[in-house]
Amino acid sequence: MLTINLFNGLVYGTLLIVMCSGLALIYGLRRVVNFAHGSLYMLGAYIGYSVAAHADFWVALFVAPAVMAAIGVVLDRYGFRLLQDRDPLTVVLVTFGLLLVIEDFVQTVWGKSNLSLATPDALNFAVNLFGTQVPAYRIGVIVVGAAVALGLSLWLRFSRYGLFVRAASTDPTTTSMQGVNTDALSAGVVGLGTALAGLAGVVSAPFMSLSPSMSADVIIDSFVVVVIGGLGSLAGAFIAAMVLGMVQAVGAVYLPDASVLLPFVLMVAILIWRPAGFAGSRT
Amino acid sequence: MTALLKVDRINAFYGAAHILHNLSLEVRAGERVALIGRNGVGKTTVVNTLLGLARLGEGQIRFRDSEIRKPRPYLAAQHSIVVVPQGRRIIANLTVEENLVLGAATGRKGPWTVPEIYKLFPILQERAHTPGTALSGGQQQMLAVGRALMANPSLILLDEPTEGLAPVIVDQLATIFNRVADQGTALLLIEQNMSLVVRVAHRYLAMAKGAVVASGEVNNSRDGLKDLEAHIMV
Ligand SMILES: Nc1ncnc2c1ncn2[C@@H]1O[C@H](COP(=O)(O)OP(=O)(O)OP(=O)(O)O)[C@@H](O)[C@H]1O
Ligand SMILES: [Mg+2]
Repeated sequence: MLTINLFNGLVYGTLLIVMCSGLALIYGLRRVVNFAHGSLYMLGAYIGYSVAAHADFWVALFVAPAVMAAIGVVLDRYGFRLLQDRDPLTVVLVTFGLLLVIEDFVQTVWGKSNLSLATPDALNFAVNLFGTQVPAYRIGVIVVGAAVALGLSLWLRFSRYGLFVRAASTDPTTTSMQGVNTDALSAGVVGLGTALAGLAGVVSAPFMSLSPSMSADVIIDSFVVVVIGGLGSLAGAFIAAMVLGMVQAVGAVYLPDASVLLPFVLMVAILIWRPAGFAGSRT
Repeated sequence: MTALLKVDRINAFYGAAHILHNLSLEVRAGERVALIGRNGVGKTTVVNTLLGLARLGEGQIRFRDSEIRKPRPYLAAQHSIVVVPQGRRIIANLTVEENLVLGAATGRKGPWTVPEIYKLFPILQERAHTPGTALSGGQQQMLAVGRALMANPSLILLDEPTEGLAPVIVDQLATIFNRVADQGTALLLIEQNMSLVVRVAHRYLAMAKGAVVASGEVNNSRDGLKDLEAHIMV
């Protein structure tokens, strides 16, 4: 019982990692806390569902993030770029408005009832993990999440554009003065962040049913992760996502009645201990 | 020969505050020009207008042959004009070396590479992997100059590069500025330290109230220094 819960906690943690890397990247470059990120995740899941229905899951795995990347670029150009120097309340209102628009759009196109996407055949079997049978698909989810986390970290640390992103996250004006077109860079990064939300959506579609309310739980947990990890810090978010996944898993076994509250308890505890989050250095 | 930078009767604003009034200036290849003036006359605003950080009203900005109608911070560097900003603005979460590499963002090839910068400022090599902002003020200024050189620019705008630095560091920087200029890079040196100006610049422009009010040759003598200082007296 505990093993399967811990395993599911790990799966959920990696999904949160994929979500939160997008949130953190977007916040880093644009200083926009994107309340619509969960809706973008949902939209990715629904697009994946439709593509999978017409082609197959593996096509959807690439097409949905690609479509979401394009949406992200447009969103940056005509949304976040204009919100850059606005007060935080305006940003909250606009991204919250976007959330409502996307949810409405999803309901109009795909309807209100729950949909489900079949697990792809190639991963539709069980694996024995320390004496517990676990679905192979979920192991695949962990692999995808780990690949995203590792890939992003290496890219940020060692590549030329990764350097630009790190620099622009701290001081966009000075970075731009070195000749980096930060407008284009931000569009690219928001595209990437949105594609990651879409990827999290498609990947979770085969094991979480699709509904217009699916964004709510994930976005709340994502914000908890981002706040715990330190706004804009990827490493912090990675750790926080795994901690949150595990806390929920263990909580579901030992404190089933309180498990929905645990993320918030964790958040409050960590914020009392370190107000800027584990890895946060700025306010 | 076209100027590297030509500013023609520009007006610039912060919000509604009108800071620059029909200001003109020009820097040609290889020139060493000083822009002098008291605190608050608008020297930094000239730089900020070129970068699109202050709003450009009437007037024209040209980087070499291109007219820049909508200045953005990255356009200057892309046209081979780099800024060593007032206050240095070293990027805190990058190491010394990463700050230098960032300076090469335009990818323009030329004599300046990381090893060459280290030869110029050996202390930067010693501190290569520490965070840029862990350096002392003088070292950060060296890093800001090194970062600008990494762009292999044809013109460097230096905004009060010796502000707050000890005299020995100022001497060291003066030598470096001369060396860089001797290699053919044009300099626009914004300064209030006239002893540095006479050592580096050949020509000066004096500003008052958002406009250039005087200009001439820099005469590296005691009288020359006095003349220049008169422009920044209250
Ligand atoms: N961001 C801003 N918003 C509004 N006014 C500003 C801003 N920055 C500067 N100013 C004003 O514009 C005028 C010119 O400032 P600027 O920074 O260009 O002067 P400066 O000559 O560079 O002075 P210093 O030698 O002190 O650096 C000053 O009166 C200043 O108060
Ligand atoms: Mg100034």
